[in-house]
Amino acid sequence: MAEEFSTEGMLDIYLFENEQLLEQLQEMVLEQKDAECFDEDSINEIFRTMHTIKGSSGIMMFDNITAISHKLEDVFYYLRESHPEHVPHVDLVEHVLTVEDFISSEMEKIRGGDTPDGDPAEIIADLDRFLEQLKSGGADDDETPPPENVHVEPKQFYIAPVATSASRFYKIYIHFFPETEMANVHAYKAVYALKEVAEDLLYSPEDIISDAESAAVILKDGFRILLQAQCSEEEVRKIIGVGYDIEKVDIFECKAEEFLQGFDFGESNDLQIDLESSVEDIEARIEDASAEEGSAPAKPAKPAIAPGDFVIKSREPGRQKKLAKDKPKGEKASFIGVNVSKMDQLMELIGELVISESVVLQNPDLKVPGLNLDNFNKAAAQLAKISTDLQNVIMSMRMVPLTNTFQKMNRIVFDVSRKLGKDIEFVMVGEQTEVDKNIIEHISDPLMHLVRNAVDHGIETNEERMESGKPDKGKIILSARTEAGKVWISVEDNGKGLDRNKILEKARKQGLLEEGKPDSAYQDKEVYQFITYPGFSTNEEITEYSGRGVGMDVVVQNIQAIGGALDIESTPGFGSIMNLKIPLTLAIIDGIVMETGNSSFVMETGMIKEFVRVKEDMMIHEPDGQEYIMIRGECYPVLRLGKWYGLEEYQESVEDGVMLILEVEDKRVCLLVDKLIGEQEIVVKPIPSYIKKVKGLSGCTQLGDGSIALILDAGGLIE
Amino acid sequence: MNEMSELKRQEEQAASNEHDTQKGKYMTFKSGNEYFGLEIQYVNEIIQFQAITAIPETEDYIKGLINLRGKVIPVVDVRLRFKQEPFEYNDRTCIIVINVKSMMVGLIVEKIAEVVEIKEENILPPPSIGRADKSHHKYVYGIGKVGNTVKLLLDPDKLLNDDDLTVMEQANDMVLEEE
Repeated sequence: MAEEFSTEGMLDIYLFENEQLLEQLQEMVLEQKDAECFDEDSINEIFRTMHTIKGSSGIMMFDNITAISHKLEDVFYYLRESHPEHVPHVDLVEHVLTVEDFISSEMEKIRGGDTPDGDPAEIIADLDRFLEQLKSGGADDDETPPPENVHVEPKQFYIAPVATSASRFYKIYIHFFPETEMANVHAYKAVYALKEVAEDLLYSPEDIISDAESAAVILKDGFRILLQAQCSEEEVRKIIGVGYDIEKVDIFECKAEEFLQGFDFGESNDLQIDLESSVEDIEARIEDASAEEGSAPAKPAKPAIAPGDFVIKSREPGRQKKLAKDKPKGEKASFIGVNVSKMDQLMELIGELVISESVVLQNPDLKVPGLNLDNFNKAAAQLAKISTDLQNVIMSMRMVPLTNTFQKMNRIVFDVSRKLGKDIEFVMVGEQTEVDKNIIEHISDPLMHLVRNAVDHGIETNEERMESGKPDKGKIILSARTEAGKVWISVEDNGKGLDRNKILEKARKQGLLEEGKPDSAYQDKEVYQFITYPGFSTNEEITEYSGRGVGMDVVVQNIQAIGGALDIESTPGFGSIMNLKIPLTLAIIDGIVMETGNSSFVMETGMIKEFVRVKEDMMIHEPDGQEYIMIRGECYPVLRLGKWYGLEEYQESVEDGVMLILEVEDKRVCLLVDKLIGEQEIVVKPIPSYIKKVKGLSGCTQLGDGSIALILDAGGLIE
Repeated sequence: MNEMSELKRQEEQAASNEHDTQKGKYMTFKSGNEYFGLEIQYVNEIIQFQAITAIPETEDYIKGLINLRGKVIPVVDVRLRFKQEPFEYNDRTCIIVINVKSMMVGLIVEKIAEVVEIKEENILPPPSIGRADKSHHKYVYGIGKVGNTVKLLLDPDKLLNDDDLTVMEQANDMVLEEE
């Protein structure tokens, strides 16, 4: 039982970590998808990511994931070590994304309790072909290699950036004063300084950081550095600097060939033999494409600092790079993953705290006349302040930037536009906007639909764009901002826009139009809303991505489920904008507490436009019982809350009650309630699932006196 | 390590003991003229009657929501659920909070009787006589004999979740049975 539990935990961690790795990977790849090629850092990072995934998948015995990540690791190993030119970058991006997709889908299976049974063979074969292509391409580019270059081919293996003609090679000998303590550290300082300018850097003794013995060797034999850089001897001298501990710095310029042979180029033949064997070793490793970084060449070189070993030790620069790479990782460590259920629990507890605070502060016992409450009030104010702070902190903990969600959209644009052969530029604005985690989960799918639609339907094909004289690239702008306690997310394209007539025609066919109402009587907004009806699609052809008429209605449903709204703007010929208006958070809202009959209700403050006291003579009664009211020349339908819910003992007369003007998506209605109690921050709780959904109610909350109030949902009431 | 497993074993034993002690015990209450029994493992607690927030547009037997130490739970009037005459609530009225499949629901009952032990051999399947009992079949799964009296044993899951048969549906059922 205990063992079962522990693998369970491991699996969770495995999934969690790899998911994050993949997310980072995708983000990075997409960031640079339009670049010429990946920069060195990214190549290292991708390599490292794949290596980690391979390792952990190996432990968990998910062989297919291990195999595929191994293969991609190979490709990046080659890229990292050989720096081939003319890498088909877009293909490479696609390969990475394919692999990422494969692993994600396998992990999804694992999460669902299934065995990851996807067959990576095809993707692996693709990658093999790609790697072959890279390798052959790389050889073509190296047209005039020096003869030695062929001989010592694996030089590419460790000389980091390819030598340019401007590079110069130096041998540097640094001698320290014999009494210098920790000469190895001083030596490292020089190495570190040189790394700034170095295209390649080898030094001996190799192990100056961890091996304290090396200090003695340095003092005895001097510290030797092989440097490849573009700067002059003078500059090098300056960089190393002559400190009080350095006795003498000798710098000799040398040729590339000498450089390649290491420190002891002039030495005996057995050096060459040694060199040969290790080269073979290295070559064999390449062919195996085993990417055990660092360990492959290090093994044959292990035994101390013998003369012939320098070439092999020149792997050191690789290790340096890795050290440098570790830094951002340290920064990431300041985040910890917390189980969402714990967060929810904390949230709930703070909600309770807010409620019990109001129970204490509004306690009827305090209302006894003649009490001296000065000290109590002071303490109460302090308490209120702390609990507000606490609320803000927990809210901010739940806030997550939209970056990841937006990155996913980037991916979709990339995939779909390539498949459809459209040139599309994708711009993200305000992706740092933070939104409650729950909400992010809900908007991901709708957003995906909208973006897909924009690529597929919105933006025309390249030819069409040429004809209509538009700039050749389509453009999709995904933007987010916060305003008035809501998040506005918009998907904007510069495509053909919505075709009003086509939509009207289709709406007529489906019987959505009112009879006898002329087309011109429909406002653009109303017309565009038709596309959010189920089964409505103006696209004649069904494509892989859209056109089946499912989509927009689901989008709207999902958005409405979290209290949001979709607004469509469009200019024919210039594109359309889909605006999503979404609440920042679902958990704590500002509400107005009111009473009708014997029941308390709460309405979100943002929904209420104004409160009015009205006179009976402002009412208009229709014979069928419908009521309207004229307020300042405008006519609103009237809803009596008491009557609507069949409550008892509510105010019959409008003059005794209060009218609330509610506005949802440009629709307005007047709601009559008995009286207002006040404004309060309320903690939204769901109505227990045992009770089936009641129209117009979106939840319940606990008031200061411990009683329960129902939360009214303006949208539901207006319907 | 050994200590741990020892502790664990004891805990398990305690748990099973608790289960054993609960087994065969029933919380009984009166509703109308009948006594009903609920297996005690479903019963969380018994609380005093408190203010209920009514929810509009729900079945009449769902009286509304109460606040049980910060938890919002729905309450059901058992008499109305059994289609018996409604009764006046007073401060002696109690709410039995039951937990079925991790859903908490309060049951308003007329009068709480006692906890009795009913051995399995004393539980009979409900006699299927008379049409009036038809609706009881849904949530009464057995009849327990205690001395000279009988208690109708309730299946709480069905009590909460079975849709009510309307009079029409019952009539239809009966027609089907006669065929």
